[in-house]
Amino acid sequence: MAQVTTRTQVAPVAQQELRQEPLLQIENLDIHFVTQRGAARVVDQCNLTVHHNEIFGIAGESGCGKTTLVEAILQIIRFPNRVTHGRVLFSPPGKPPVDLMSLSQAEMRRYRGEHIAYIPQGSQNSLNPVQRTGDQIVDGMVAHGISERQAKAKVPELLTKVGLEGKVAHLYPHELSGGMKQRVIIAIAISMEPELIVADEPTTALDVNVQRLILETLKTLREEMGVAILIVSHDLPVHAQLVDRIGVMYAGQIVESGAIRPAVKEPLHPYAMGLMASVPSIGGSRERLEGIQGATPSPLNWPDGCRFHNRCPYVMDVCTHVPPLLAQPEPGTRQVDDLTRTIGPDHLVACHLYPESTPQTGGTHE
Amino acid sequence: MATQIPSTTFEEFEGQEVQQERLLEKKMLLSPAMRYVLRRIGLYLITLWGSITASFIFIRLIPGDPIRAMVAQMQLQGGYNTISTSQSMSDFYEKQFGLNGNLLQQYLHYMNRVLLHLDFGPSLLSYPNPAMDLVKRGLPWTMALVGTSLVISWILGVVVGALVGWARKSRWADTINNISLGLSHIPAYFVAVVLLFIFAYNFPIFPANSAYDASIKPGWSFAFLWSVIQHMALPVIATVLVFAASWLNGTRALVIQILGEDYLTFASAKGLKNRQILLGYVMKNAWLPQISALALSLGAIINGNVLVEQLFRYPGVGQLLVMSTQQKDVNTMMAIVTILIVMTLTANLIVDLLLPLFDPRISYSGK
Repeated sequence: MAQVTTRTQVAPVAQQELRQEPLLQIENLDIHFVTQRGAARVVDQCNLTVHHNEIFGIAGESGCGKTTLVEAILQIIRFPNRVTHGRVLFSPPGKPPVDLMSLSQAEMRRYRGEHIAYIPQGSQNSLNPVQRTGDQIVDGMVAHGISERQAKAKVPELLTKVGLEGKVAHLYPHELSGGMKQRVIIAIAISMEPELIVADEPTTALDVNVQRLILETLKTLREEMGVAILIVSHDLPVHAQLVDRIGVMYAGQIVESGAIRPAVKEPLHPYAMGLMASVPSIGGSRERLEGIQGATPSPLNWPDGCRFHNRCPYVMDVCTHVPPLLAQPEPGTRQVDDLTRTIGPDHLVACHLYPESTPQTGGTHE
Repeated sequence: MATQIPSTTFEEFEGQEVQQERLLEKKMLLSPAMRYVLRRIGLYLITLWGSITASFIFIRLIPGDPIRAMVAQMQLQGGYNTISTSQSMSDFYEKQFGLNGNLLQQYLHYMNRVLLHLDFGPSLLSYPNPAMDLVKRGLPWTMALVGTSLVISWILGVVVGALVGWARKSRWADTINNISLGLSHIPAYFVAVVLLFIFAYNFPIFPANSAYDASIKPGWSFAFLWSVIQHMALPVIATVLVFAASWLNGTRALVIQILGEDYLTFASAKGLKNRQILLGYVMKNAWLPQISALALSLGAIINGNVLVEQLFRYPGVGQLLVMSTQQKDVNTMMAIVTILIVMTLTANLIVDLLLPLFDPRISYSGK
């Protein structure tokens, strides 16, 4: 039983160092959705980096491409979605980086579960209804070359790790509550001790108490197992509680990314500002929430220039025809329109309010 | 606060109800499983009675008087020709066949004879032999034919259907699916005619009629069994082609639906091998509904079998049913119909009682 425990016991100091190293680099990723009215660019020129042992959050409103993006990482993306361009470099410790997008389904299978685990969005229906939960934990391990006996022996330990009793292994999914099912899924996700867990809305449809427990569990797993977590959620408080760094996604693109505190306290992108202003605070005065004007544009017909320009309170002339680049503004304090912003290192934004984002050549058209 | 919380809260109400339910359960002597079995058997008996009564009424409603026709035939042959003798002969035979009195009296007489003595009365086809004897002679042949067709078509249809659904985008799966869509809409007897024409007439590979070669003595000899298999081949193939096609279509649709389920996405995200997903996730979820469908299809396959037997002159109860209908042999018809009803309903009962053992989501408590 002890043979199959932690694969890499990294010392805390080394872990800190590792956190500087990139584990997953998404570079210029395009995902197109083929429809009868043409290809919709659901995810367009997406760039983001997740470091070792880091919790990275992706925030954004419904339909902005969050789920499609993480499904692409695992290549479980469904027709008619298709990755058309870009790389996803995955660098497990002690191994050369590999471009996941260049792998065949058979090669990709070896990475799924073993190196990159997945916590799906519809966790309520993600377990096989006619198989005992224990067997569903076991079959994943068996698929990656662990003997059935060893895998079975590991089940109680895995269930304890996610706060469930061992007897849950003998139950069928319909005998479990929503929170228990989610925990079983997490147990499956950690069974192979992956380097990265991709969690898509792991707390949606769960009540606040269970939500908190699930988030605590994820946090503990990060500390104990040294795993990195890429978490997708539309729920900003979830990000504020859990993540180290956040990427804000709008209309298929990452518009801002950086450490969580400054990104929540002093967001740089006007969309991110609107998003943060949409969160009501308990105890605050009951004002009308500001929110964001207008509706999400359609992937079939993104606006020219900056995709947010027709909803943006700070819109300028350049925004209507020049797409801004995701770039690092010069760190320091500066006046941005009517706001004062202190910009730290490793804080990227794609907005013409920051001259660094405006392409130097000028007049770049898509 | 404007709204006062009522003195009895919802939880308390619920609590009382749950307590009452528990008390009820304690009072009940039978376990939920036992109650389910008893309820299901009760339902079985009621359905059995209803369908036998309905077929009794409908068969008696067929116009024509077989007894008078028979007596007239006898008088022609025998030459005696008085009204009184013909009347007394008719009365005698009507009583023999249980056809005297009004419908209710006939029904009571019939139920009494069947329930207490398992006797359906004499047959007209081979008077004075009991109808039951004729049925007993044909039943093993029919059961062998229907049983073989049912098992082969179910296994073939479910397995191939699952594979076709699994590989739905490939060309071979598409081809099989189109062929089977066509086949499932052709009646079995038509396929039988085509097979007869090709494999018994044009290329005489298989025998065209009866159940075994008359020159071989029936018994547990290899020659006899081989002859039986040869004679059974064409009728079985005709039925299997049609019924396997409809199983195939059903299972394919089921599998495609399963492939869209969240648990399948998660299964591939776990890095499972295709074989694991197909067997443990797709097949396991697809074959359970098809077991319940198996029992329901028994009636359809028996119906289809009647005309197939007739075409191949197969000595089963199907052919017997056609002959007895032509002669208006009421007792033989009733014997066949009753026994087929009992077989179909019993098969359904057995599947219903066994299904909770296969499917973890079905519990005996019926909740």
